[in-house]
Amino acid sequence: MSLTSRERILAAAKANKPEELPLPTVPDFGGEATVERFTTVLTGIGGTVVRMGGLQELGETLQQLFPEARNVASPLFRGTVPVNRETPTGILAEIDLAVLPGEIGVAENGCVWLPEANMLHRALPTITQHLALVLDQRQIVATMHQAYAQLPHTGGYGKFVAGPSKTADIEQSLVIGAHGARSLVVVLY
Amino acid sequence: MKVALFVPCYIDQFYPQVGIATLQLLEKLGVQAHFPAQQTCCGQPLANSGCESDALPIYKHFVETFSDYDYVVAPSGSCVYHVRKHFDKLDQTADVQHVRGAAYDLIDFISTVLKVDALPGAFPHKVGLHLSCHGQRGLHQANESEMTPVRDGQLSRLLRSLDGIELTQLNRNDECCGFGGTFCVSEAGISARMGQDRVADHVRNGTQVLTGSDMSCLMHLEGIVRRAKLPIKVMHAAEILNGVLVNA
Amino acid sequence: MSHAIRADKFLLDADRTTWHDETLWFVREKRDRAVYAVPEFQELRELASGIKNHTLSRLDLYLQEFEAAAKANGVHVHWAADAAEHNAIILDITRKAGATRIVKSKSMLTEECHLNPFLIQHGIEVVDTDLGERIIQFRDEPPSHIVLPAIHLKKEDVGDTFHTHLGTDKGENDPQRLTEAARQHLRAKFLAGEVAISGVNFAIAETGAVVVCTNEGNADLGVNLARVHIAAMGIEKIIPRLSDLGVFTRLLARSATGQPVTTYTSHFAKPAPGKEMHIVIVDNGRTQQLGRPDFRASLKCIRCGACMNTCPVYRRSGGHSYDFTVPGPIGAILSPNIDMKKHSSLPFASTLCGSCTDVCPVKIDIHTQLYKWRQVLGEANEIPASKKWGMKFMGRVLASTRVYGLGGQFARKALRLLPHGLTHAPSMNAWAVARELPEAPKQSFREWYAKQPAPAAPSKTSA
Repeated sequence: MSLTSRERILAAAKANKPEELPLPTVPDFGGEATVERFTTVLTGIGGTVVRMGGLQELGETLQQLFPEARNVASPLFRGTVPVNRETPTGILAEIDLAVLPGEIGVAENGCVWLPEANMLHRALPTITQHLALVLDQRQIVATMHQAYAQLPHTGGYGKFVAGPSKTADIEQSLVIGAHGARSLVVVLY
Repeated sequence: MKVALFVPCYIDQFYPQVGIATLQLLEKLGVQAHFPAQQTCCGQPLANSGCESDALPIYKHFVETFSDYDYVVAPSGSCVYHVRKHFDKLDQTADVQHVRGAAYDLIDFISTVLKVDALPGAFPHKVGLHLSCHGQRGLHQANESEMTPVRDGQLSRLLRSLDGIELTQLNRNDECCGFGGTFCVSEAGISARMGQDRVADHVRNGTQVLTGSDMSCLMHLEGIVRRAKLPIKVMHAAEILNGVLVNA
Repeated sequence: MSHAIRADKFLLDADRTTWHDETLWFVREKRDRAVYAVPEFQELRELASGIKNHTLSRLDLYLQEFEAAAKANGVHVHWAADAAEHNAIILDITRKAGATRIVKSKSMLTEECHLNPFLIQHGIEVVDTDLGERIIQFRDEPPSHIVLPAIHLKKEDVGDTFHTHLGTDKGENDPQRLTEAARQHLRAKFLAGEVAISGVNFAIAETGAVVVCTNEGNADLGVNLARVHIAAMGIEKIIPRLSDLGVFTRLLARSATGQPVTTYTSHFAKPAPGKEMHIVIVDNGRTQQLGRPDFRASLKCIRCGACMNTCPVYRRSGGHSYDFTVPGPIGAILSPNIDMKKHSSLPFASTLCGSCTDVCPVKIDIHTQLYKWRQVLGEANEIPASKKWGMKFMGRVLASTRVYGLGGQFARKALRLLPHGLTHAPSMNAWAVARELPEAPKQSFREWYAKQPAPAAPSKTSA
C-alpha cells in the first residue's frame, strides 16, 4: 500500500511541478566574526560567555561558575558521572552539569555547533540541568553560511545550540529553562 | 501632456470637493487636467469580491475612456493600484497596456512625473498621515515598516515642506485602517475595530487633521471619527495642498 | 459559519482583543528589529524564495534523492497520500515497537492530520511536549497560532488549567512558576516516552537528514530518550543542500519571533545505535496545490507565522476564527485547497493590505493569492448569493455612464431625505454599526464639472 502511495505522490509531483527553475547561488555575505559580536548576541538571548586563557584553566573556571554542581559529565575531563551512549535514562536525569566541546561559534546569532561525537550521549545536552560549551575562539565565524560551509556533513546527529532552553508560550513572557538546560555558558579560550 | 482626471465613483458621489481640489491643485501646478464625463469606476469593488468576470466590462469601459491620454490621475491610490495590477485580466492590447502604465495616484504624479517634492505655503496644524496600503505597499509611495526603519514617502515629503506643519508620530506607522472595500461590510466588526484602533493611534498622538492620498481609507476613518464625535478633521491631501497654494 | 461570525465572537471581549492585538504586534516589532539588523535580509528572502521555487520545480527528483539518502542512513521511509494513511503508518510503527506512550514535539502536519485523537482512540497515550501545545491539549482546544499555539490564552487561563491538571496552587498565574510546573510534569513524560514524534522544519535531499528547530529543546529531549523516532513531514519541506540551511536558518527565527536563531537547530540523520528512526512523507493535498499555478507558491511556506503576527485581521479575530489548522493569511490560501466550501470565507477575511506578503521570508505573494482565491470562489458560486447578484447588478451600473449617473443621484438624494435612524440602521447597513455615512452632497463632482466654463482647450488636446 505504501509503495502505491509513494508512486502516486511522485507521479503527481512530477506531473504538477512547474518548468524547471534555476537553483540560486548563495553568496558569502561576509560579516563580523568577532568574539565581541558573538558575546553581545549570545548574552542578548540569555546565554553567558566566559573567557579563559587556555584549556588548562577549565577546571578552575568551572569551579567558579558551578560551585554547587555535584553530578558532572564531560569528555574533556574525568567528571563525577561517567556517561556513554549506553547510560540509562535515570542516571542522565540526575546530571547537574554537562561540559562539552563545541566546534563552531556563529557571531551573528550566538549559536555553537555541537556534533554527536562531542555529546557522550545524544540526550545529554538537553537533559542536563546546566550546559557549558567549550569553544576555541578562533572557531567563531560570522554567519550561518560560513558555519555550514565548514561542515562537510552533520553526522548521525548534531545541533546548533543558542542559549538556554526557553519558552514564551504563556502570554509571551520569556521564561528561561523550559525543558532543556536551564543555563548555557560558552567558555571561550 | 494630456492629462485626464479620474474621479473614482465614491469620490464623485460623496466627496466632490476632493475631485475639485485635485483639479485645482493640478492647475496650480501647471497641468490642465480634463475630466472625461463617460468615466465610471475601475471595477475594484467587484473584483475584490470575487466577481472579476463581472468587472471586465467596467475595465473595458475604463480603458476606452482613458486610452487617448498620456496620464490618468486619481486622488485614490487604491483604484490606480487596481488598474496597474489587476487589469492583467484583459487582453493586453496596446491601449490596455498604455492605460495601465498611464494611471497615477495624484501624489505619485506630483512627485514622480511633475518632480515636485516641496511646495510653498503654510499649514500650521498637527497633521496625522494615513498611509493607504495600496499606495504604500502596492505603488511604493512610501517606505514600508516591514522592510526598513527609515520613514519616508512622497506625501510626507510634500507635507513636511509646508510651513508650520507638524506630522504626528504614530505608534504604528503603517497599519491598515480596515476599510478594504467590501471588507468594510462583509467583515464589519473587524473593519470597525481596525478603524477605531487606527483613529485611537492618532488621538493618542495628537492629530488635529487626519489626511492621506486615498479617499477610501479616509471615508472609513471619517465615519469613525464622526460617530465618536472626535475633534479631528479629516481632509484629503489634495484639499490641504490645494488650500495652501496660491494661484500660479 | 463564516470567518466574520467567528470574528465577531472574539471581538465581544474588547479588552482581550486589545491584548491579543498588542501582544502579537509586539512580536511583529521584535521581528522588525531583527530584520533591520541584517543588511542582506531582503536578499536572503529572494534567495530563499528562489531555492524553494527551484525545489518545487524538481520536487519528485529531490524527494527520491532524499529518500535514497535517508535509507542509506538506516532510516525507514514511509509515504502517506493523505491524513488517514499518515495516521495509520504512525499507529503501525508504534504497535510494532510494542509501545503505548508517545511524546510529541510540535508538528502542524500531525495537527492537520488529526493524529492525536486517532492514536488516543487506539489506546495510545500521546503527550504534546511543547509548552503551548501541552496547555491547549489539556484544554482540548486546537492551536490558534502555528508558532505560539496558546496565544489566545491569558496567564490566568493557563493558571486555571494547570490547577486542574497539574495541581498547581489555585490563583498561581506566574509564567515562571507555571513553566516550572510544566517542566517537572513533562520531564516524567520524557523519561517514560517510548516513541517520540517530531515535525520537520527542513529535509535535506543531499544528506537525507531532517532539521527540527525548537526553543524549548523538547524535540531533542523526546527523540533522544525514546527508542523510536518518527519524523512527519509534508513533501514541501525538502531543500536541496545542507548549505541552503544557511539561508533558511537566518530567516526563520528572525521572522517568527525576532530571535536571531532558535535555541536548538537539530539535525537528525541516523538513529542512535540500537534505536529506530522513521520518516513519514505526506502529500495530503500538496501535489494538488503544486498543480495550481496561481497557488503553488503557498508550498514555499516555512511556517514562521510572521504573516499572522502582522495581519491586522488575525490580530483582532484570533486564530480560532479561521477554523483551520493553519490560521491567518497563509491559512486562508492553504485551506480552500483542502475544502473550498468549508473555508470559502477565509480569502475574504483580509483587507488585502499586503503586509503578509512583505514580511514573508520566502516571498509568498499571499495577498495576491487571496485575491485569486476570491475569483476561484466567485466562479465556483462559493460566495454568498446576495453578494454575487449585487455585484452583477453593480457591474451593469458601472459599465454604463448613464445608469451610473442616475443611480448616484438617486442614492445621494435618498441619503439626504431619509431619516438618520433608517440610513444608519445596523440591521440594514453594516457600515453604520460603527461609522457614520458620508454626508451626501447636493451635487456630484461630475455635476459640478459640467457647470464649469469650458477650459481653454476643452477636448483631449489640452497641452
